[in-house]
Amino acid sequence: MPTSSAERPPQVLEVEQLVAGYGGAPIVHGVDVSVGAGEVATIIGPNGAGKSTLLKAITGRAEVLEGSVRLDGKDVTGRRGDQLARAGLGFVPQVNDVFGTLTVLENLEMGGYLLARKDVAPRVEEVLTAFPALCDMRTRRASKLSGGERKMLAIARVLMLRPNVIIFDEPTSNLAPVVARSVLEDQVRVLANSGSAVVLVEQRASEALTIGDWGYLLVAGRVSVSGPAAELLGRDDIGELFLGRETKPSPALNEISP
Amino acid sequence: MSLFVASLGFGLVTASILAIAAVGFTLQFGVTNILNLAFGDVMTASSFIGYIATTNGVGIWGAVALCALFGAVFSTLLNRLLYTPFVRHGTKLFGMIVVTIATSLIIQNTIQAIWGPSFFSLKFSPGGSYHIGSMVFTSSQFGIMAIAVASMLGVYTLLRYTKLGKAMRATACDPALARSCGIATDRVVDVGWLVSGALCGIAGIALAMNVTSFTSTTGGTFLIAIVAAAVLGGVGQAYGAMLGALTIGLSSEVAAGVIAPSYKQVVAFVVLVVVLLIRPQGILSEVAEAKEVAA
Ligand SMILES: Nc1ncnc2c1ncn2[C@@H]1O[C@H](COP(=O)(O)OP(=O)(O)O)[C@@H](O)[C@H]1O
Ligand SMILES: [Mg+2]
Repeated sequence: MPTSSAERPPQVLEVEQLVAGYGGAPIVHGVDVSVGAGEVATIIGPNGAGKSTLLKAITGRAEVLEGSVRLDGKDVTGRRGDQLARAGLGFVPQVNDVFGTLTVLENLEMGGYLLARKDVAPRVEEVLTAFPALCDMRTRRASKLSGGERKMLAIARVLMLRPNVIIFDEPTSNLAPVVARSVLEDQVRVLANSGSAVVLVEQRASEALTIGDWGYLLVAGRVSVSGPAAELLGRDDIGELFLGRETKPSPALNEISP
Repeated sequence: MSLFVASLGFGLVTASILAIAAVGFTLQFGVTNILNLAFGDVMTASSFIGYIATTNGVGIWGAVALCALFGAVFSTLLNRLLYTPFVRHGTKLFGMIVVTIATSLIIQNTIQAIWGPSFFSLKFSPGGSYHIGSMVFTSSQFGIMAIAVASMLGVYTLLRYTKLGKAMRATACDPALARSCGIATDRVVDVGWLVSGALCGIAGIALAMNVTSFTSTTGGTFLIAIVAAAVLGGVGQAYGAMLGALTIGLSSEVAAGVIAPSYKQVVAFVVLVVVLLIRPQGILSEVAEAKEVAA
C-alpha cells in the first residue's frame, strides 16, 4: 500500500477541480480524485455529501460545470456514457444497476454490447465462472433476483468489456453484512489485484478503507481529507465521525488540510 | 349465434389492425418515453398516402409498403424536428403529451386543409369473399390479418432475438445504464421511431382498407381503441399490447354486432376501466416500473 502520493502507481483516471451538479447550484465544488491501475481508491463521506453526484459527473450522467476528467491521459470531460464505455470506463450505479426487464443472460449480453458478435457468448461463460450462483438463472428476469444476486449480475455485467477503470457506487447498500464483505473482498479488491483501477464509494467506511489503497473523505461537495487508506482508517477524528468508533476529542475536521 | 360468430370475424380483422397500431404505439412510448398522441393522425396521413398511391395506379400491396416507409420516415422526422427540441429544452413527460396533442391537431387540420372534410376510399379490389363457418372474409382482410401476424412475429423476433432489439429493450428500461454499456441510445431511439412509425403507417392503410370510407379524423378516432389496447397490455409492453388489441378488437366488434354498432367505443372504454380497476398495471405487465423521460 502506498504511504504517500509519490508511491502511487501511474494514475489512469484523473479528476481535477471538478465542479458538477444537475443544472441548478453545483453539488460538487472542485474535487480532485484519481486512481491508478491495481489500486482501490475509496471515497467515503456522509449522506448527501455529493459522492454519487461526483461519480455521475465522471460517468456522463450529471453536468460538469468546471474541471476535467482524464482517462489514460485523454481528456474525456463531459463525454456521454457510451463514449466512456468505449474508452474503457465501467460503472456500477448505486441503484438501477441492472436492466430489470431483461434476463440475466440478456443483461450480460448488453454488458458486452461493444464486443464482436462472436466474442459475446464465450465472454459470458468466462465471466460467469466467477459467479457460479448466476449460472443456473440465465433465463430469469433480473428484477426477480435477490439483492445479492442482483449486485453480482451488475458486477458481472460491467466486467463483460474488461474495463480499465471500474467505478462502484455503494455496491454493498441493501446487502446483508456477510454478502457485503464478500462483495468488497472477493470482488472489488480482487478486481484491483488483477490490474483494474477501482473507484469505490461506500457507506461501510471502515470495511471500504480496509480493502482500499488510497482514501478520500468527501464532505459537502469537497475533499476534506485524502491520503493512504490505512492512514484515514487510523485517524481518530474520522473514526469517530464516519467509522462508528468512539474516541477522545480530537482536532475538528476543518483544521485538517486536504 | 351466427351473428355472434360473424362479428367474431369482424373482430379478428379489427383486432389485427389494432394490434399493429397498439404495438407500434406502445413500442414508441417504451423506447422513446414519448407518449405520442399524434399516432392516430400519422395513421390518417398514411391512409391519404395510400389513397394517392392507389388512385395513381399503385397496387394495394405496393401501397402498403409505401405507407410503411412513409410512416417510418414521417415519425422519425416528427421526433427529430419537433419532439427532440422540446425534450432538449427540458419538457417532461406530461409537457410532451401536450406537445403531441398539439401536433395531432396540426396534422389533422393540415389534412383537412388539403382534402377537405369529405369521405375518401382507397381504390382497390377487396377480392373475393371466403366463408369460414358464419364468418366471412375478403381476401384483402386475409391480407390484413397476415400482415398483422407477420408484424407481430417480426416485432417478437426483433425484441427477443436480435442485438438491436435487446438494445431497444435495454434503452427502454434504463437509458443511462444502456449508455454505460456502450449503447448509443440516440441511434437506438431513432430505430424505435422508424419501426414504430412503419407499424403506424401499415395500420393507417390497413384501417383505410377495412372501412368503406375514411376522413381526416378517422385515425384520431381510432386512437381511443389504440390507447385502450396499449394501456390494457401495460403501456410499453409489446406483447401486452397484442393481447390488449385482441381483447378490445374482439369485444368491441362482438358488442357492435350483437348489441348495436354504437357500442363499439363504449366497450373499449368499459373493458379499459374494468381492467384498470382490477389491475392498474395492465393485464400482462408484472411490475409497473417508474420511468424517466430520456433526454
Ligand atoms: N438528480 C438530482 N437532481 C438534483 N439534485 C440531486 C439529484 N441527485 C442528488 N441531488 C442532490 O445532490 C446532493 C448530493 O446527493 P448525492 O450525490 O446523492 O450524495 P451522496 O451520494 O453522497 O449521498 C443532495 O443534496 C441531493 O439532494
Ligand atoms: Mg449516493
